[in-house]
Amino acid sequence: MISINNSKKNSSMQGKTGRHLELKLILMTGVYMMTGMLLLHLGAAGSPEPRALLIGLATVAAFLLVSFYWSLTGYHGDCLLLPITALLCSTGLVFLFRLDPAYAVRQFVWLLAGLVALVLTTRQFVNFRFLSDYKYIYALVGLIALVLPVFFGSEQGGAKSWLDLGLFSLQPSEFVKILVVLFLASFLIENKAVLSAGTRNLGCLSLPGPQEWGPLAVMWGISLLLLVFQKDLGAALIYFSTFLTMVYVATSRIFYVLFGLGLFIAGAGVCFYLFDHVRSRVETWLNPWQYIENTGYQVSQSLFAINSGGILGTGFGQGYPEYIPAVHTDFIFSAICEEMGLLGGTGIIILFMIYVFRGIKIALKTKDEFAALAASGLTALLAIQAFIIISGVTKLLPLTGITLPYISYGGSSLVANFILLGFLLNISHEAYIDI
Amino acid sequence: MKQNILKLGYLLLGLLLVLVIYLSYLQVIKGSDLAANPYNRRLQELENLIIRGNIYDTGGIALARTDLNSGKGRRVYPGGKNTPHVIGYVSSKYGRAGLESAYDRYLLGMEGVDRVRNYINKLLGREQKGGDLILTIDFALQQQAMELLGGRRGAVVLMDIRTGALRVMASSPGYDPNKLEEIWQNLVQMEDLPLFNRAAQGAYPPGSAFKVVTAAGALGASPGYATATFNCPGFLIVDGFKLTDLSAHGQLDLRKALAVSCNTTFAQLGLKLGPDGLYRTFKAFGLDQDPTVGIPVRPGTIADPGEMTSTELASSAIGQGELLVSPLHMALVAAAIANQGVIMRPHLVNSVRDSTGATVQQAVYRPWLTAATSRTSETIKAGMIDAVHYGTARAAAFSGVQVAGKTGSAQNPHGQTHAWFIGLAPVETARLAVAVILENAGSGGAVAAPIAGKLLAAAVAKGY
Repeated sequence: MISINNSKKNSSMQGKTGRHLELKLILMTGVYMMTGMLLLHLGAAGSPEPRALLIGLATVAAFLLVSFYWSLTGYHGDCLLLPITALLCSTGLVFLFRLDPAYAVRQFVWLLAGLVALVLTTRQFVNFRFLSDYKYIYALVGLIALVLPVFFGSEQGGAKSWLDLGLFSLQPSEFVKILVVLFLASFLIENKAVLSAGTRNLGCLSLPGPQEWGPLAVMWGISLLLLVFQKDLGAALIYFSTFLTMVYVATSRIFYVLFGLGLFIAGAGVCFYLFDHVRSRVETWLNPWQYIENTGYQVSQSLFAINSGGILGTGFGQGYPEYIPAVHTDFIFSAICEEMGLLGGTGIIILFMIYVFRGIKIALKTKDEFAALAASGLTALLAIQAFIIISGVTKLLPLTGITLPYISYGGSSLVANFILLGFLLNISHEAYIDI
Repeated sequence: MKQNILKLGYLLLGLLLVLVIYLSYLQVIKGSDLAANPYNRRLQELENLIIRGNIYDTGGIALARTDLNSGKGRRVYPGGKNTPHVIGYVSSKYGRAGLESAYDRYLLGMEGVDRVRNYINKLLGREQKGGDLILTIDFALQQQAMELLGGRRGAVVLMDIRTGALRVMASSPGYDPNKLEEIWQNLVQMEDLPLFNRAAQGAYPPGSAFKVVTAAGALGASPGYATATFNCPGFLIVDGFKLTDLSAHGQLDLRKALAVSCNTTFAQLGLKLGPDGLYRTFKAFGLDQDPTVGIPVRPGTIADPGEMTSTELASSAIGQGELLVSPLHMALVAAAIANQGVIMRPHLVNSVRDSTGATVQQAVYRPWLTAATSRTSETIKAGMIDAVHYGTARAAAFSGVQVAGKTGSAQNPHGQTHAWFIGLAPVETARLAVAVILENAGSGGAVAAPIAGKLLAAAVAKGY
């Protein structure tokens, strides 16, 4: 009796009252965004921007609508993730308006597409488990999607990872990363016993057979493929580190991680000597000031912007983030740091931390290992992406051109990350509803 | 597996936390060198919006000011060729240097109350103004020092030993910062490096002027040397190398050895002091530090005591070998002797005012280092008095002021010896310390000493 009572209470927490909290938080996000939009409307970024208020209101309404739809359908997904995402998205939208309104309008359209994708994910894939049965099919689809740009792709910002579809271009690697996590989750769980214990002994190490580690080697190959043929260093780095973290979580064997890191370092070393674009990235990272007139220009301008922010920032619209090339995509974090200061920049990082916290919590609440591994993989994917790009623009690590999730301009990235959010929510939905 | 997921969570949160810490470093701790980078156009933007504050000498003579011409500011340097190394310049093309660069944030009103005031002014569309600097430099003396250097390669530093106020910091040849944009290409190609601040950034062997430091070290180690007698046969053999002297000085005490600048005596003292002892003395005088006067000073360098051979030690003791110091450092050596062993913190900026004229920073006079005891410094001072009285520095004697000093003629790979003089005045109640160097100009006694004497006489006549 008691346990039933408890579960009812718990599920209602996540259900109706959870959605209620979600609505409230989104409304507060709306106040935050509308403050920015009002400033833009008044001309904080030069000329007054008449579309800002309208697009701001429409964005809040769209997020509210999603939450409202969930409460109607009795969806039990986590109630904090959507408001966090809304905060990140609205910061991105406000800053895009401040930097270049044309990008902001396009981003708004992509945002709506992302929300539609989110709703569809939480509708169609609410029983995400069936995906596990088709894992080799979508692994193949993903692989083809990744390879396509090698032959038909167009190059943007140095990386040849785009498919030009006429009206807009798409970056398949953004979507494939979700497939990779789902594939790895089911594959690793299926072969967990063998991978953890090994079937044959090699000295003091027990290793699994080739049929078990074969697909993993393919994963490693894919990362290198991305790196070499598409010059997409960022995506390669994200794939590879997510892959390693998931292997560790599934098998508890630090050996795989060390081995993978060794392979990665070896591969990176070879690439450093073989490929000019890799070498120039590393050299620019080590000493951007020496290359300040060409390859080091962007990151040094980013450092100037961040440094000029101080604790409180120059104030919205008062800085000069437009000195950084590509500030609207990869370098939007530097713009935030310049105008909102250390507090603003830290705020964004803390939002990602809460996102991680909720993601890990979801992974811990699941009942079976596939869901747990998928949830932790998706969380790791997002956090690693945020970490890599922020450390890139602050020169903590070499710069790799990827987006800051939910904030940077970029349609593929935005929609893909909404789908990622959808899967995380589905996993939490299942966990909470069954308690 | 739950354990692993938890570990993953900590790892991810840890990574993000690293970002927060690094960001704090970038935005709060990392200094203004990024802001002053010539590729950073932010300061230039501010420059166009804010009326840059003025820089005055100790008597209120403008050395840098902004002239308003129909709303647009133009930077003018009335000091012209006499002050460019101290004041520096601001150029959209060639960056910034000197105090203009070091005190940018004050001159542009980006610190303290001015920052808030200018933010409000900006929002209201009103004029934004920066603060002013009042220096310790005396423009008339600075001008005289530059005249005495007469365009030759060299430097002069004059300091008030009681306060640490730098009255003269002259580096020659100078250049006119008012015409920087036109003459830059020429300046960077000229062989005598006019852009180079020799007074603060120069790295010279100090020659015999360094014997003051060696003497201080030896006396500190065993005060008995004050009354000991040394023998100078005119040479000294160290490790098979023969170190020759100017002449065979015969039997002499430390005081006379300073006066006649006896190499043999000081090489011997150096050997007795040992590498560690000499290195400690070098540090005691702050020669290995940038004393942070307001603009960057090159810290002096000496051979690593762990690897110092006997010949290197003997050469270093007489200011040769690998030993390199700046003229400012040598002025501080003279100041220590003049002030009973205590070096007051040297500084160039007396006060900083904000845009309303309120003082926001005032130089505090405080001891920087105690280099020697007062007994040691009195003994050395006696030797320096004798040097001017009957020794190598006779040319420093000028009517109206009693000077004590030590010459140096530093051998170097570039030709004739560098002419050095370090000194203090007036002898009874010393108030001023001076260092003069002229590159490849001959002997210190003949070339540098008279310049120091004239300048000290002028300074004392002005009441310093």
